[in-house]
Amino acid sequence: MSGEPLRYSPRVRELFAALPGGGALAPGEGVTVNGEAAALERGAWVRFEARVSGGRLADCAFRAWGCPHTLAAAAWLAQAMRAAPVADLRPAEVRELAHEIEAPAAKLGRLLVVVDAQSALLAAARAVQ
Amino acid sequence: MNRAGPIYLDWAATAPLDRRVADAMCACLADPAAQANPSSGHASGRAAAALVARARGEVAALIGAPAESIVFTSGATESVNLAILGTARASPREHRHVVCSRVEHRAVTGACRQLEREVFEVSWLSPAAGGAIEPAAVAAALRPDTALVTLMQVNNETGALTDIAAVAKLCRERSVPLHVDAAQSAGKLPIDVAVDDGIALLSFCAHKLGGPKGIGALYQRRQPRPALQPLMSGGSHEAGLRPGTLATPQIVGFGAACRIARESLATEPARIRALRERLWQALQPAAPLWRNGVAEPSAPGILNAGFAGVEGESLLLALDGEVDVASGAACHSAVAEPSDVLRALGRSDLAIQASLRFSLGSGTTEAEVDRAAGLVVAAVRRLRSVLPAGALERVA
Repeated sequence: MSGEPLRYSPRVRELFAALPGGGALAPGEGVTVNGEAAALERGAWVRFEARVSGGRLADCAFRAWGCPHTLAAAAWLAQAMRAAPVADLRPAEVRELAHEIEAPAAKLGRLLVVVDAQSALLAAARAVQ
Repeated sequence: MNRAGPIYLDWAATAPLDRRVADAMCACLADPAAQANPSSGHASGRAAAALVARARGEVAALIGAPAESIVFTSGATESVNLAILGTARASPREHRHVVCSRVEHRAVTGACRQLEREVFEVSWLSPAAGGAIEPAAVAAALRPDTALVTLMQVNNETGALTDIAAVAKLCRERSVPLHVDAAQSAGKLPIDVAVDDGIALLSFCAHKLGGPKGIGALYQRRQPRPALQPLMSGGSHEAGLRPGTLATPQIVGFGAACRIARESLATEPARIRALRERLWQALQPAAPLWRNGVAEPSAPGILNAGFAGVEGESLLLALDGEVDVASGAACHSAVAEPSDVLRALGRSDLAIQASLRFSLGSGTTEAEVDRAAGLVVAAVRRLRSVLPAGALERVA
């Protein structure tokens, strides 16, 4: 029951504490789309949900099960995608995402699940345009 | 725990230093005569030796042993290694079998795996459903060539309580030395090696019961006395079993901690057990949840609980700075490694990662338990509020 002490970047702590965009998507205009990826053996399960309106992701929310880095990464991406034109959005690079939240290399596999969920969301968003 | 900061519910990892122990150690450190080598024959040495002798008696009294049966070590890990490696290596050439269990502390399993790398065969017993080792399983594992049985009395992760009296009787009848890892039970449950005289060796330490870190003890039965091969060379201290100048202030602190623990044995276990059950009840609003291990028989102060749909590392961070607890997984280099003990109980890796060990001690109060439970329930609900649909059922 022992091990390395918990070490998280201030960014991870901040995102984890607030979980911006976590939970249900707020009601509003537009078409609702979602994208999901899960790899329980890696310790991550992420689902993004968004409303597409006027060619933009009018709103974006996430649900996730996983470590603090997983939740922080999902929260950061949900924020980053909000209000962006769908045509301009590209799936995040895992290493850039890791750099953004200062995630250790051991968490890259979990961040890949986050990016897979984002990719699925963007594909669904493009399909309804 | 009478201090600002997080609520401390990790007493099984280590207990805060008792104020009275600190006072005794400070008095020892401030006494010039106590700084002499207790092995020296001059007056100052004899004064230090007297302090050691008094403390040795207090340590021995905690387990009903004579003072001369106590060997001071650096802690329970060293005691365990001396007991297991020392006994096995000193055993007759035709005795090359050791009985251990899969739910022992890594100090024990590590020593047994070392024996496997030598010439020994180890029988690894699995726990019963509640987490304890059944005496019948020990009986079935014993062989004519068994050199040692080593078991913990209280499991450090689940609190499961093995019937050591029954195992001791069995070992006595078969003339097999029994080593008991009492790191989690000494000072928390009554132990009497004079009654349970099948116990040949017993390991425990100071810091689990409010004493200082860096000091432990190995009880070695006098009659019949189990043969032990020292792990280190370089002196004849501690009956030739453990060389090195004795750490008088640490030993004085250990003695004080044992005396305080012995004086509270009549009341503390029941009080702490009631607090543990209060905690379990107060956690119920976080259902679905489960208990790893059973309520009884178990150690008074340990509750291991799992929370469906919750990832342990996130739960720990959600509680960081509010409640000090241990997770069901050891986090080495950011990669969670599920507990071998909970795996042996049949828990899935996901269920293990959703588990926390709460351990209570002499300083734990009702107010702390209630507040900690409220914080845990709130953290669990918050994490569940962002779960994907279906995760609550699957991640358990």
